[in-house]
Amino acid sequence: MTRALTRLCFVIAVCIRLTPLGTAQENADLRAAADEAKPIPVLSGGAAFVPTWDSGDLTLVSIVSPVLLVPISRNLIFESRAEFEGDFVRRNGNSGDFTGAVEKSLEYAEFDYIGNRYVTFTAGRFLTPFNIFNERLYPNWIRNTQTDPLIYPIGTGSDNGLMLRGGVSLDPGVTLNYAVYFSALSTINRFESERHAGMRAALFFPRHRLEIGFSEQHILQDARINRLGSYLEWQPARVSLDLRAEGAYSREEGDGLWIEGAYRFRNAKASLLRRAQAVARTQVFHTGTVAGINPDLPTTDTKRTEAGLNYYLNDGWKALASYGKTFTAAGDSNIWTVGMTYRFVIPLGPAQ
Amino acid sequence: MKILRAFLFALTIAAGVAYAGSAADSPAPISQPATASAEDLNLRWMMEGEKRYRINCGRCHQPPHKFEPRVMATAVRHMRVRGMLTDDDMKYVLYYMTH
Repeated sequence: MTRALTRLCFVIAVCIRLTPLGTAQENADLRAAADEAKPIPVLSGGAAFVPTWDSGDLTLVSIVSPVLLVPISRNLIFESRAEFEGDFVRRNGNSGDFTGAVEKSLEYAEFDYIGNRYVTFTAGRFLTPFNIFNERLYPNWIRNTQTDPLIYPIGTGSDNGLMLRGGVSLDPGVTLNYAVYFSALSTINRFESERHAGMRAALFFPRHRLEIGFSEQHILQDARINRLGSYLEWQPARVSLDLRAEGAYSREEGDGLWIEGAYRFRNAKASLLRRAQAVARTQVFHTGTVAGINPDLPTTDTKRTEAGLNYYLNDGWKALASYGKTFTAAGDSNIWTVGMTYRFVIPLGPAQ
Repeated sequence: MKILRAFLFALTIAAGVAYAGSAADSPAPISQPATASAEDLNLRWMMEGEKRYRINCGRCHQPPHKFEPRVMATAVRHMRVRGMLTDDDMKYVLYYMTH
């Protein structure tokens, strides 16, 4: 009996000792296998042509947005995105040729250093991590509805400064992701930035494909206002549905909420239908206590509901159309969009 | 503001329910053999990589087709930062997308 117990203890001890070693060895092997492919610089991005009829006025929205990714070492990468947007309108209101200037902006140009499994350091000009639309969903080839949400101007844009961020698995069912940042004031043309401090934190439940997060931002200049945000993103595993919602609150600027559902007909019998995606979004915005403090926001309380259809021609091209109605105290109006988006990826070196 | 409060309340409830659900259906950790054949490892990493690819890539955009390996090695680093993938997610997704 004693001998059997001794043997059992020995086996348990060996197992306890070997299992972490085996796991650590396997992790090292996985890293080595994954790292067989050395990263190369890549030029990516998207282009969009989305004519938009808002209250009957046609604007030809044309956007080219290149993204440059330059890996410097295994853990250091430089990435940048510029945007060239031309909003062309008729010279005489409803008649005449289309005219307009092309606006150029540098949306981000940042160095990201993956410090360890818990933190990535970012320095430079980065997209403000307030809620998720600005960082993850803004490019036209990604977004399901082409018009910006009404609350989008609250707390978003680009900042010049430093940021710590990361995603950490708390247990197999929960992942924490976070971003903490500080930005400096800049009034340089095309590099504008407010003096901010802020954070975003979220819990992601991989089994449910559900992410819930909160944002906070404090402006360290002028009115020194606070902004709060929250968001939800859910993609149920068994249904090809994207459900997203964001809320933002600023006492001075206003508050609002949008919720969007997008259903892809992946299980349709007709193969052509499987490329289609039906989209609907509804949103509300209430003005704040200081009128005009943020000139990009609506000047009156506004509600808008939109519905549309996206059609994925292939991995790069997407055709789209949508209709929406805007409700304000001053009157209602219609908003139509129809257009195409394109995503490109060009390796700047030997890709194999 | 009332709508936002209701939204916050709903988010809190959803997080609680999701967490409770995750804890309830979390499978027991599978003990890994100290040594496994290369074929077994490849299969396991591919399956895990595909799972993590489906879970994570679609959070931002339609899951893309495979790119060339060296392009993918760059793209996954971008995803690590922008999509806040965990270190393990990055390794598994990169393995899956390059093998």
